[in-house]
Amino acid sequence: MKKAVKTLVRYVILISAMLMFVFPLYYMFSVSFSSKPHIEEGALVPDGFIEHWTGVIAGFSGVGGQGIVNSFIISASSVLVSLLASIPAAYAISRYKFMADKHIFFWFLTNRMTPPACLVLPYLIMWRAFGIWDTLQGVVLAYCVFNIPLAVWLLTSFMASIPKEIDEAAFIDGYSLARYFRRIFLPLIRPGIAVTSFFIWMYSWSEMFMASVITSVTSKPLNAQLIISLGRVGWGVEYGMASAAGAITILPGLILVYWARGYLAKGFTFGRI
Amino acid sequence: MSKYMVVPAMIVVMFVGLVPLFAMINYSVQTPYAVENVFVGFGNFLRVLTDQRFLDSLRRTVIFSFTVLALELPLGLMFALLLYEKGKLNAVISTIIIIPALLPPISIGLLWRLLIRGSGPIGQLAAIFFPSYNPFQNAAHAYYTILAMDVWHWTSLITIVVSAGLAGMDRNPILSAKTEGATRWQIFRHIELPAIQFPLVFVSLLRLIDGLKIYDEVLVLVAGGPGLTNEYVSLFIKTKTVEEWLVGFGAATSLFYLFIVLMLCYMLLIVMTRGKGVV
Repeated sequence: MKKAVKTLVRYVILISAMLMFVFPLYYMFSVSFSSKPHIEEGALVPDGFIEHWTGVIAGFSGVGGQGIVNSFIISASSVLVSLLASIPAAYAISRYKFMADKHIFFWFLTNRMTPPACLVLPYLIMWRAFGIWDTLQGVVLAYCVFNIPLAVWLLTSFMASIPKEIDEAAFIDGYSLARYFRRIFLPLIRPGIAVTSFFIWMYSWSEMFMASVITSVTSKPLNAQLIISLGRVGWGVEYGMASAAGAITILPGLILVYWARGYLAKGFTFGRI
Repeated sequence: MSKYMVVPAMIVVMFVGLVPLFAMINYSVQTPYAVENVFVGFGNFLRVLTDQRFLDSLRRTVIFSFTVLALELPLGLMFALLLYEKGKLNAVISTIIIIPALLPPISIGLLWRLLIRGSGPIGQLAAIFFPSYNPFQNAAHAYYTILAMDVWHWTSLITIVVSAGLAGMDRNPILSAKTEGATRWQIFRHIELPAIQFPLVFVSLLRLIDGLKIYDEVLVLVAGGPGLTNEYVSLFIKTKTVEEWLVGFGAATSLFYLFIVLMLCYMLLIVMTRGKGVV
C-alpha cells in the first residue's frame, strides 16, 4: 500500500513535469497555425490558418525564405569543415604524447567557453578587413571557434577507446595512413563522428548572437532574421510569423532527440562522462 | 609525421580564437573610442571598474548564475533519481524532458514571450490569480520570469548528466544496504552521492559558465528591460561595442568578463583531470 502511494506520487510529479515541458512547445505550434485575431484571443487550440507557414517558407516580411536556406548551408558546412579539421587533430592528440598536450587541450576548452559577447567586436572588425563580412563562409569560420574545440574534445574521447595496437598492426600489414583511415579507423569511430556532427549541427543551427553581428543582408540565417523581427518592441510583433519561424528552428532538436538521447551526456560534457 | 595532423585545427582556432584576443588587448589600452591610436595604459580598465552600469550588470549576472544553479540542481537531481528505475514509461518521460536542452535559446525566449504576453496562457492565468503581474513593466516580475525560463531550459541538462552518472554506478551496494535496513536518505548520502559527485560538480560548473553568458533569451523576452533593470553583461558589452562603438572601453570590459569566465573554466579543467585524466 505504502509502495503504491509512493509510485503514484512519483508518476504524478514526473508526468506533470513532462506536461510542463511539452506544453510550451505545443503552444508555439498552435500559435503558428492560428490567424491573427485568434492569436490575440490566446490560440490555445489552432484554427488551422497556414499562411504564417507559407509566408515564412516563402520569406515574406524578412523572416524565413533565404534565411532557412542560409541556416542549412551554414550548419552543413560547419559540420563538414569542423570534421575535416578535427578528425586528424583528434587522432594526433589521442595517439601521441605532446610536449604541451594538456595546455593545447585547455586552450581549446577556453575557446569553447569564451562568451560570444567578447568575440563579436573583433570579428566585426576583422571580417570587414578580410572582406568576409556578411558572407556565409564568414559565419562558418566564426563558428569554428566553438565547433572545432568541441569536435576535438569529443572525437578524442571516442578515439581513445580504440586500442593503438590496431593502428600498428595495420601499418605493419602495409596500410598507408589514408587507406587505414578510410578502411578501418573511420568505420570504427562512426558513432563518435555521428555524435560530433550532431552537436556541431545543433550549435551552428542555434547560434544567433554572432550571426546577427557579422551578417547584414545576404547571408542572415533564420535566427538572425528572427531576432530582428522580434526586436520591434511596441510595433506589434507578428507572433504568428515569429512562431512559425521559431517552430522551424526547434524542428531539428525535436526530430533528433530520440536518436540522440543516449549520447547527450557525453556531448554536453565534452566526452568526459 | 602524423603528429602534425593537429596543425590545421590549431591554425584555424588560432585565427578565430587568438587573433581576436590580441586585437582586444590592443584596443583595450587605447582611448575609449580607439580611433586616434593613442596609448592610455590602464585607463579603460579603471573606467570599467568605476562604471556603475557595468558593475550593476555584472552583479546581476553573477547572482543570476548562482540562483539558477541553486534552483536547477535540486530539481534536476530529483528528476534523475525519480527516472532511475528502468521502464517504458520512464524512457518516454526522460526522452521528452530533455527536449528543452536541445532548443535554440532564441526560440526559448520566443516561447516564453508567447506564454507571458497578455493573451498567452501564463498571462491569462496571472490575470486571474495575480493581477499585478507585468513582466514588461515590473523589473522584479521580469527577473522571476527569466529565472523560470532558465530553469525550464536547463534543468534537464542536469538530469541528463546525473542520469549518466547513475547509470554507470554499481547497484549491488544499494541492494545490500536495503537488506540491512538503510533509509532512503542514507542510501542517497552514502552510496549514490559519492557515485555522482564528479558529474554533479562538472555540470554545476558548466551551468555557472553558461549562466554568465546568458544573452539570447533575455534579449527576446524583455530586451534587458524594463529600462536597464535586467541588463546582463553580454547585453551591456553588445550595446557598448557594436552599437555605441566604444571600442577601447568595450574591449577592456570584454577582457574583464573573459577573465572571470576563464577562472571558472580553469576550475572545470581541474575537475575534469581529476575524473579521468586529460586525454
